[in-house]
Amino acid sequence: MAYLTGYQYYENSGTGNENENWGTYQYTSLTDIVNNFMLMYVGNDKLINNAERYNIIFHAKRGIQELNYDAMKETKVIELTVDDNCRIILPQDFVNWVRLSLYKDGVLMPLTENTQTNYAKSYLQDNEAKVLFDQFGNILTGTSILDGDRIDGASKTMYMGSGSMSGNMGYNVDGSWVFDYSVGARYGMNTETANVNPTFKLDKKSGVVNFSSNMADEIVVIEYVSDGMESGDDTLVSVNKLFEDYIYAYVKYTILSSKFNVQEYIINRARKEKSALLRNAKIRMSNINPSRLLMNMRGQSKWLK
Amino acid sequence: MINSVRQTVLAIANKENYGYITPTDFNLYAKQAQLDIFEDYFYRYNQWINRQNQRVSGSGYADIVKNLEEAIDTFSVEQPLFNTLNKYTVPSSCYLLNKVLINTDLKHEGTTTSENNLTDTAADFIASGIVAGDTVAAIVDESTVYSIVLTVSQETITTTNENLWIESGLSYAIYKTNKTKESEKISHSKITMLNASNLTAPTFGFPVFTQSEDKISLYPSSIDSVGQVVVQYIRTPKQPNWTFIGGGTQALFDQSASDYQDLEIPETDEPLIISKILKYIGISIRESDVYQAAAAEETKEQQKQG
Repeated sequence: MAYLTGYQYYENSGTGNENENWGTYQYTSLTDIVNNFMLMYVGNDKLINNAERYNIIFHAKRGIQELNYDAMKETKVIELTVDDNCRIILPQDFVNWVRLSLYKDGVLMPLTENTQTNYAKSYLQDNEAKVLFDQFGNILTGTSILDGDRIDGASKTMYMGSGSMSGNMGYNVDGSWVFDYSVGARYGMNTETANVNPTFKLDKKSGVVNFSSNMADEIVVIEYVSDGMESGDDTLVSVNKLFEDYIYAYVKYTILSSKFNVQEYIINRARKEKSALLRNAKIRMSNINPSRLLMNMRGQSKWLK
Repeated sequence: MINSVRQTVLAIANKENYGYITPTDFNLYAKQAQLDIFEDYFYRYNQWINRQNQRVSGSGYADIVKNLEEAIDTFSVEQPLFNTLNKYTVPSSCYLLNKVLINTDLKHEGTTTSENNLTDTAADFIASGIVAGDTVAAIVDESTVYSIVLTVSQETITTTNENLWIESGLSYAIYKTNKTKESEKISHSKITMLNASNLTAPTFGFPVFTQSEDKISLYPSSIDSVGQVVVQYIRTPKQPNWTFIGGGTQALFDQSASDYQDLEIPETDEPLIISKILKYIGISIRESDVYQAAAAEETKEQQKQG
């Protein structure tokens, strides 16, 4: 019998969200991984016996987390509006960012990360610069001047910001936009930071992204990686089928390597198997196929200016 | 089997009525001997698995592990547990709790309002998605009983076990059949840390339990509905009882007595149980010959079985 009937797949049997099962065949659930592992790799006549299920769950989840950080290439994309303090709150399951872009006038503009500090916590001080405390001995804090200047646009920055091209008029010729070149060159410009778009910096501890002053009320698209734990809902945790064998090998290796009295050659065998399967899965995930190569090869005769 | 064992034992031990064993004594010895053999199954099972892993055991008719599994499985019982909140009572006959299953798909729970079938005027069974084939659990006389849904209307359900609904006010719960998850036993030393860890905290998908005395506690603690927990366990053998009519040396075997209980171990273990009972008799009548012969026979039998 099929895992899902066509009706269940396309229309979720007419109940709940119609798109519930779309694309699910690419993935194996955590429940399946744990069940299959307990069934196939744990037993009296297997390399692993007397393994607790919570051990398997832990290592399977850790394996999935590691895959989500780099190998899996499954970025999440969320669109947010920047608040009046020029910041957005990081998504609930955020682990690391891939790209932040400003969406404006129908164009997605990648933003540059500001390597300069653009936020600070401020301690309240008296006129003798002594730190002030509340009745419980806790330090009183307020909005820092650095933050205020960033929001107001008063702070100087090494990033180009609006720059010399800002506000230039363009011409629409047969549906294409054309802009005048600026005359002359900008000698000594730091090209690393020369970007007309606004900048951002992550305040990881506070869980926010701080933007430069001209970003209030703008729309930001954040692409980020999570750890695949779906905010703790085990029923939603899954892994791409291309990585399924790797997860089994990873769990097997981590359990064998942490067990007492397992011969080193067995651990080494498990380690090599794990590494080889990860390489295999990464190659498969990279989706190298003739049609893609053909597209790339078409660029070979392009004239370089 | 019990009569055959008694007759053999008497034939060996009872010489000129010197070694006559009363039915009461015989029942006591038989109980001890049976328990002894029953416990040995588990140790032998473990030994044979080790041998299997060393590749010194065969397959097919030489598969001793399979034989032992069959012997142990004759004592296997599957039963829903009675609960007070999320503390579920394990049956007193339980020797080894092998599996704890959780019904995860709870469709509806409530209390019956009439003694006619499963009737609950506060419920809308159709809206709750209950269909024929679902499992109904109800608490009757402090035990949990299962039946299967046959027909469904808004307030009434008929079930396979009609006699269940003889009074109103019965607590019940309805589950989707065969939607179960296995719960894992956790030691008391681990449960606090397990609950505190984000990655391993028990969920409905991966529930766990701890055991204290005859109660098991389920985690997550929201597992507390009527009949939500089913256990599969290995029970201890029932106490054998050689029943009789008449008295003294004239006692005649009576298999039709209501308290009659045969031995439960496989018949292939009859020589072993006879040796064991004779050993007890040897001690009882202070007859070292009987004891030594029985002990030697028992050792021989055990060596043969591994």
